[in-house]
Amino acid sequence: MLVSYNWLKDFVKLQVEPHALAEKITRTGVEIAEVKHPATGLKKLVAGHVLNCIKLEGTHLHQCMVDVGEAEPIQIICGAPNVATDEMVIVALHGARIAGNEKIKRGKIRGIVSNGMICGLQEIGFSDSVVPVKYRDGIFVFPKGSNIQPGEDVYHALGMDDYLLDFDITPNRADTLSMEGAAYEVGAIIDQPVKVEPVNLKADGSDWTSTLTAAVDAKLAPKFYLRKVTGVKIVESPLWLQTRLWNAGIRPVNNVVDVTNYIMLLTGQPMHAYDARTFKTGKLSVRLAKPDETLTLLNEKEVALDPADIVITDGNQPVMLAGVMGGLNSEVMPDSHEVILEAAVFDGTLVRKSALRHANRTEASSRFEKGINWDNTQKALDMAALLLRNEASATILDGVLKGSDTGRKPVMVKTTFSYLNKVLGTTLTADQVVALFNRLNFETQVARDQLTVAVPARRWDITIPAHLVEEVGRLYGYDNLKSKQPLLAETQGGYANFELFMRHVKHFLQGQGLMEALSYSLTSKARATLFTKAVQPVAEVKMPLNSSRSVMRQNLLTGLVDAASYNFARKETELAFFEQGRTYDHADGQFNEHEHVATLYSGHVYRNNWEHDEAPVDFYFVKGQLENLFTALGLTDIEYRAEEIAGMHPTRTAGIYVQGDYVGFIGMVSHALTQTEKPLRNSELYGYELDLEQLSHYLPTSTQAKPAPKFPAMSRDLSVLVDQSQSNQSVMAAIRQAAGHYLVKLSVIDVYQGEHLAAGKKSLAYQLTFLNEKATLTDDLVNEKMAAVTTALETKLQASVR
Amino acid sequence: MDLLEKLDQLRGRGLEKINAAADTQKLNDVRVELVGKKGALTEILHAMREVAPERRRQVGQLVNEVRDLFNEQLAQARYDLAQALVAQKLAAEKIDVTLPGKRLSLGAKHPVYLILDDLEALFIGLGYQVVQGPEIETDHYCFEMMNLPKDHPARDMQETFYIDNENLLRSQTSGDQARVLEKHDFSQGPLKMVGPGKVYRRDDDDATHSHQFMQMEGLVMDRNVSMSDLKGTLEMIAKHLFGADRETRLRPSYFPFTEPSVEMDVSCFNCDGKGCSICKETGWIEVLGAGMVHPNVLENAGIDSNVYGGFAFGLGLDRFAILKYGVDDIRDFYTNDVRFLAQFRQEEK
Repeated sequence: MLVSYNWLKDFVKLQVEPHALAEKITRTGVEIAEVKHPATGLKKLVAGHVLNCIKLEGTHLHQCMVDVGEAEPIQIICGAPNVATDEMVIVALHGARIAGNEKIKRGKIRGIVSNGMICGLQEIGFSDSVVPVKYRDGIFVFPKGSNIQPGEDVYHALGMDDYLLDFDITPNRADTLSMEGAAYEVGAIIDQPVKVEPVNLKADGSDWTSTLTAAVDAKLAPKFYLRKVTGVKIVESPLWLQTRLWNAGIRPVNNVVDVTNYIMLLTGQPMHAYDARTFKTGKLSVRLAKPDETLTLLNEKEVALDPADIVITDGNQPVMLAGVMGGLNSEVMPDSHEVILEAAVFDGTLVRKSALRHANRTEASSRFEKGINWDNTQKALDMAALLLRNEASATILDGVLKGSDTGRKPVMVKTTFSYLNKVLGTTLTADQVVALFNRLNFETQVARDQLTVAVPARRWDITIPAHLVEEVGRLYGYDNLKSKQPLLAETQGGYANFELFMRHVKHFLQGQGLMEALSYSLTSKARATLFTKAVQPVAEVKMPLNSSRSVMRQNLLTGLVDAASYNFARKETELAFFEQGRTYDHADGQFNEHEHVATLYSGHVYRNNWEHDEAPVDFYFVKGQLENLFTALGLTDIEYRAEEIAGMHPTRTAGIYVQGDYVGFIGMVSHALTQTEKPLRNSELYGYELDLEQLSHYLPTSTQAKPAPKFPAMSRDLSVLVDQSQSNQSVMAAIRQAAGHYLVKLSVIDVYQGEHLAAGKKSLAYQLTFLNEKATLTDDLVNEKMAAVTTALETKLQASVR
Repeated sequence: MDLLEKLDQLRGRGLEKINAAADTQKLNDVRVELVGKKGALTEILHAMREVAPERRRQVGQLVNEVRDLFNEQLAQARYDLAQALVAQKLAAEKIDVTLPGKRLSLGAKHPVYLILDDLEALFIGLGYQVVQGPEIETDHYCFEMMNLPKDHPARDMQETFYIDNENLLRSQTSGDQARVLEKHDFSQGPLKMVGPGKVYRRDDDDATHSHQFMQMEGLVMDRNVSMSDLKGTLEMIAKHLFGADRETRLRPSYFPFTEPSVEMDVSCFNCDGKGCSICKETGWIEVLGAGMVHPNVLENAGIDSNVYGGFAFGLGLDRFAILKYGVDDIRDFYTNDVRFLAQFRQEEK
C-alpha cells in the first residue's frame, strides 16, 4: 500500500523527514520498498483559468486565453477535446518541465503563438490507471470549488507535494494496509501517541431495517452489516478526496464509490455500495454460487461462477462476487438516489481462491485474504454514511441491518520476561518491556516475571508468546541486539560417507578435465526415460509450465546432450562435461531418488595444437577415462557388455557391470538423436552414466599395504586369431583362467582385422606379465603356462595362436 | 738412426696425428698406430736389443715417458671429441620453449557449486553436519510440519509443482529441518545442520526467475540459542561471502516456520550504499531470510518448545552467485554455455 506522509500527519506527529522515516519503518516493521514524491522533476506547472476558448475551424485545436495569475492572460493552443471556457486547468508555462523530463517552450502551432501547454494528468506523471475516466483522453479540469487560484503551483492541490511510502508488507502485517493501521505502526516506531478518532453517528432518517431481509451464511461471512442512505446526489468527488485515492493508486470514480474506497484506505475495511433498487424484492442472501450461475463484474468481465465462490444475491441472482468485486447489475449509477452500504468480513481463503480463479484480484480481495480488523465493521459503515452525508447530500436512515454478527474474543497472550530475554539474548527490565508495549498501545499486566498482554483486534497477527518476542525485539531494535556466536557443546561437523564419496568422484572428474554442468531436473516425458536401461514409472508434475518441463528425469545424460546442443549451436564443439545429480522415479508406488553421475565428450583429445595431434574423442578414449576413475576408486571385477539402451548407438554401447551387477552404461549417443537435433547433426558424442549409490556398494573398505615386488616379472607376447564375433573380453577371460595366479597383468597390444587375414577373422595380440611374489620365476614354468593358455584358446574359442 | 732420435721424431709425429684425428674412429687408428700391440712404440721396444746395455735403461725410461704422453693426449682428445659430440647433439635438440604447450581439456566447477562448497566448508568448520533430504517431498514435511496450514498461499498449485495430492517438488529446503528435528537426540548434544539442495517453484523462467534453483537450509537448536546468536551467525555469513567491509541490517519479515522472522540486507557492493540500479536506489541488497524456529515447528516434531529453541536460516545459492559474480541472468546457470562456465576457475579455494 502507498501510505501518504501528509495523511499520516492527521494521526501522528511526524518530526522525522520522509526518507528517514522510511528507513526506520523498514528496520522496525515493514519494508518500505520506495518513497515516491510525485512532484519530483516537475517545474512551472500552475493553475490556469480558461477565460476564452475558440475552436479553430478545420482542426481539432482550440485557441485559449488563460489567466495564469499574470498581468495579462496568455494564449495557449490546446488540442484536447474537453478544453472549454471557464475551466480551471493545469498549465505548463514556458520553461516548464513535465513528465519524462520533457521541456515545454513557447512556440507556434499552425502559425499561432502558444505560450505553454494545458496538461492532462498523464502528462505530468500520473499513471493511466488512476486518472479519472473523464480526464483520461483529455486535459484535467479542477472540480468546481477547488481551493486553487490562477498562477498557483498545482502540486499541493493535486497531492503531488506529498511523499508516498510504499509499504511492501509481509502477509502477517496486513494491519498496515490502512491509514489507521499504518499510523499505529509508525507511532510505535517513532514513539509518538496516535490519534484515531471514534465515530459518532446520529441518523437523520427513519429505521429501514425491516424493509430488507438478509439471509447470510455466517461461515462464509462471519460479519455482514448494511446501512441505507437516501437522497444521494452522484457527482464528482471533491479534490481532497480524489488526491487521497490516486496517491494510493486508486482511480476516482464518483462520490459514492470514492467514499467506499476512501473508507477502505482509512480503516482497512473493504466496503461496497449497491444501488438500493437492486433489492426491490426485499431480499438479500449471502451464499455459495450455484454451478451454472454467471455474473458480469463492474469491470465488464463476465465470469462463470464456481460453487466455491461466495456471492451476494438479490434473493434470486448474484449481484456481487463477495469480497472481490460488485456486479454490473447492482452498480451505483448517475441516477441512483438510494444506496445500500455493505461492510462485511468474508472468509479469506474463499475470497483469495475466487480472485485467483477469475484472475480478478482487487484491493478488497487482497485485504480479505490477508485478514482484516473484525472490530472495524461498524465504524467503517458509519464513517462511510457520514461522509456521504457531507459529500453526496445523503440522508442516513436509522439502523444497521446485521445479516451476521460473529464476535471474536479479545486475545490475551501470557509470557515471561525471562523467556523474552532468553530468546532475544537481551537483559531488558520489566519496565523497558512494558514501555515498548505502551508504544504499541497494548495493555499489559505484570506479576513478577509474568507478563500478560491484551492484544487489540487490529493486530490479529499476534496470538502466541513468540509473537510478543518479535514485537519487543523489533521495537527494541534489531540493531541494538548483541551480535555473537552460539556457545554450545562442541559438535563434529562434516559430511556423511556417501556424500564424501560423491564429492570425491566430482573432484576426480574435474581433475580429469571435465567441466561441471547443472541441468534442470524437469524434462519432457520422452527425454526423461531415454538413456535408461530399466525405465521405471515416471514422476510427473500435475500442472507443468510447459511440456518440455513436465517429468522428472530418470537419467542425467539428457541434460548434457541439451548442453551439447546449446554449445554446438554457438560453435563450441570441444566439450567435456560432467554432472552429478539425482534421477527420480515412481517405482513400486513410491518416489525414489538416485544419485548419478554422467559425462559427455565431443571433439578432440587435445585442444587445437601446432603439432597437429588431432586424435578425436572416441569410445576408447572415454572408456579409458572411466577406467581411470574405477582404478582410482579401487573398483575391480568390472565387465562391459555390448548392450542396447534407448538414445545410445546400438552397436557402440556397453552396459557396465561390477561384480555382476549393472551400474551404468558407456557409449556413443545415437545417430537417431543427433541427426534430429539440428546443431548436433553429424557429431559424435560419447559419454557414460553411473548410478553412484549402486557403485558405492563395491568400494573397498580399507587398504592393506604390500611391499613392492622383490623378484623380477617376465613378459610374453601372444597373438591370437579368432572369429570377428569373439569379444576381447572372452579371449582375456580364457587367458586369465588358463594362465593361473602368476599372471599379474594382461594388456591388449594390437588389434587387426583386414585384408591379410581370412574373411571373418581378426587378430588380437596380448602381452602377459607373470610374477611370483615369493621367488624368481623359471622359464620352464612360464612356458608351461603359455602352453596351457594356447591350448585353452584353441579348444575353447577355436582360436589359432601364433 | 739412433733410437733416441727415432723416439724424438715419433713423439713429434704422434702428437701431430693425435691432434689431427677428427673423430673417434680416426683417433682409435692413431692409438693403434702409436701405442697398440704392433704400434710404433712397441716396435721401438723390440729394437732395444740393438741398444747398448748401459743405455737401455735410459731409452726404456724415455719410451715410457712417450707412451704416457701419448696416452694422456689420446684421453684428452677422446674427451674433447665426446664433448664436441654432446654439444652438437644438444644444438640439434634445441627447441623453441616459447611455443605453446599441448593441452588436454581443463575442468571447472559450476559457479553455484563454488558458493555451495565454500559455505559448506565454512559451516563444517563451525561444527555443522551437512544433511541431504528428498527433492520429491511430501506435503507433510514440506508444509504441514513447517507450520504452513492447509490453505496457505504457498501451497497453491500456482506456486508449487504438485505430483499428486500428497507429493510435490519441494519449494524450499525447510523440509530437511522437520526431518532432522524429528530424529535428533538432544542428549547427544546440540543440533547444528545445513541442508543444501535443489528446490522448485512454478515460476516461468526469465532473467530473475527460475523454476529450479539451489538453497541451503541452516538450523541450530539447543536449550539456550538466542536471536543474538542468529544475528552474529548471519553477519558472519554475509561478511564471509560479500566482504568484511559490508554493512548489514536486519529487517522484520515473515516466514511461517520462524517467529520472529528477519531478512538480512547488505550494503550494496556496487554503489557502497549510495543507491544505484542494482540496489533499486535503496543502498541495500537483500541476501537471506532467517528467524527463531516457530514453536509450532518444534511441537510438530515432538520437541518441547519451552525447553528447546533455536534459529534457522535459508540461503539462496543462485542468488549469492548472481550477486557475488555479477551475473545478470539466472538462466546462465542452467544453459551450461562453456564460455560462461569457464570464467570461474580462479574462484576455487
